Amino acid sequence: MAPPAHPAILSVGRALPPNYVDQETLIQALTTYWSAKHHNAERLADIHRAAKVGGRHLALPLAEYPALDTFGKSNDAFLRVGAEVGEEAIRRGLAAAGLSPRDVDHLWFVTVTGISTPSLDARLANRLGMKPSVKRTPIFGLGCLAGAAGLARASDALRAFPDEVAVLLSVELCTLTLQRDDASVTNLVATGLFGDGAAAVVLAGSARANGAAGPRVLATRSVLYPDTEWVMGWDVVDTGFKVVLSAKVPEVIEARVGADVDGFLADHGLARKDIRHWVAHTGGPKVIEAFRRALDLPPEALARSWRSLGEVGNLSSASVLFVLGDFLDAKDARPGELGLLAAMGPGFSAELVLLRW
Amino acid sequence: MADSAMTPAEAAVAREIVRLAREELRLEGEPPAPDEPLAGRFDSLALLGLVVAVEDRFLVILKDDDAAGASTLADLARLVLARAPPERVPAAEGAP
Repeated sequence: MAPPAHPAILSVGRALPPNYVDQETLIQALTTYWSAKHHNAERLADIHRAAKVGGRHLALPLAEYPALDTFGKSNDAFLRVGAEVGEEAIRRGLAAAGLSPRDVDHLWFVTVTGISTPSLDARLANRLGMKPSVKRTPIFGLGCLAGAAGLARASDALRAFPDEVAVLLSVELCTLTLQRDDASVTNLVATGLFGDGAAAVVLAGSARANGAAGPRVLATRSVLYPDTEWVMGWDVVDTGFKVVLSAKVPEVIEARVGADVDGFLADHGLARKDIRHWVAHTGGPKVIEAFRRALDLPPEALARSWRSLGEVGNLSSASVLFVLGDFLDAKDARPGELGLLAAMGPGFSAELVLLRW
Repeated sequence: MADSAMTPAEAAVAREIVRLAREELRLEGEPPAPDEPLAGRFDSLALLGLVVAVEDRFLVILKDDDAAGASTLADLARLVLARAPPERVPAAEGAP
């Protein structure tokens, strides 16, 4: 019997908008705005500093945000900037894989920060000159989970088409969704944490990959936690997407993820000790720490997630793909070593992807 | 805890804090007892939301150090009453 053939991750292209603003500058700008709403402006700064984010790449220059006073204007900005960073991420990913846009057979597009029909993937297929037969799958609503889930769905599909190439594109412009007139603590936490960026993972089916160096996707697992729909997501309001975020999120992760990872690994004859590389979503300090505790990992196991959070903030679904890109760039994973890519998000759900370098 | 008995002025502040929790923050359920630890009743984000709402309503600033000394509704009401400008404090029941 032939050995099982697994899809390969060839590259991760990443793109950030050019408008980098450090966290202290953002705190200053927001404090000026919110001091009219809150008596203790220093508390707002404390909440922002607790996010452990050094700065964010904003979709727009800071001065342009006040003009975004309707959902329509914010979504228009999403489509314009999203096309730019999405194109750049795909071009970088394909170039690193030695492929061209016409090689792409499947285009998976995930986002939770803007909407359109046709979806952004159609616009990008045209801009990039992809072939008319490209199979597009836009996915909206998986939130932070969608980078891992998209990688899982794309690699699952390539098992049926081992000669084909898939691109998973994540575009998340979280700062365009922030509700500036929502002075709730939940919104303040989100304002301190989320950044903007795009990532494109290029995958090849087993036959097409043919000896490529990147990690193989061995298996995927979804876990939907019953009756936890309320712990995070969006309320859709007149001004766009208003964040729903419960303090229960780290608790759910800490209580559940250990057993789910163990069960997934056991189904493949593996245990936690067999995993050398942990590619974890950069949900925020409490989420990363809950994930670490759930799996009883040493602090350094999630160093790349912490660093990414500090450098660019939580990029929602793109976050875990940025961390994956850092692993590929570092080239310190050796052939045969195993990795687990994991993200948690609205549902509440976890997505697990087993990798072998 | 004899200490938890509130003066009428403190009780008025406590009622206003409970109203903020219920109406402004939509925190549900029975109001906490005066000497019940708030951290046992509200999760960390909800508690932070309550603190921010209290700061805004009473024009007070609550430092992290204060949290150690204000773990219950009665403690919080006492602290707020000591710091709030008089015009922000609700009238106590029975007051003229």
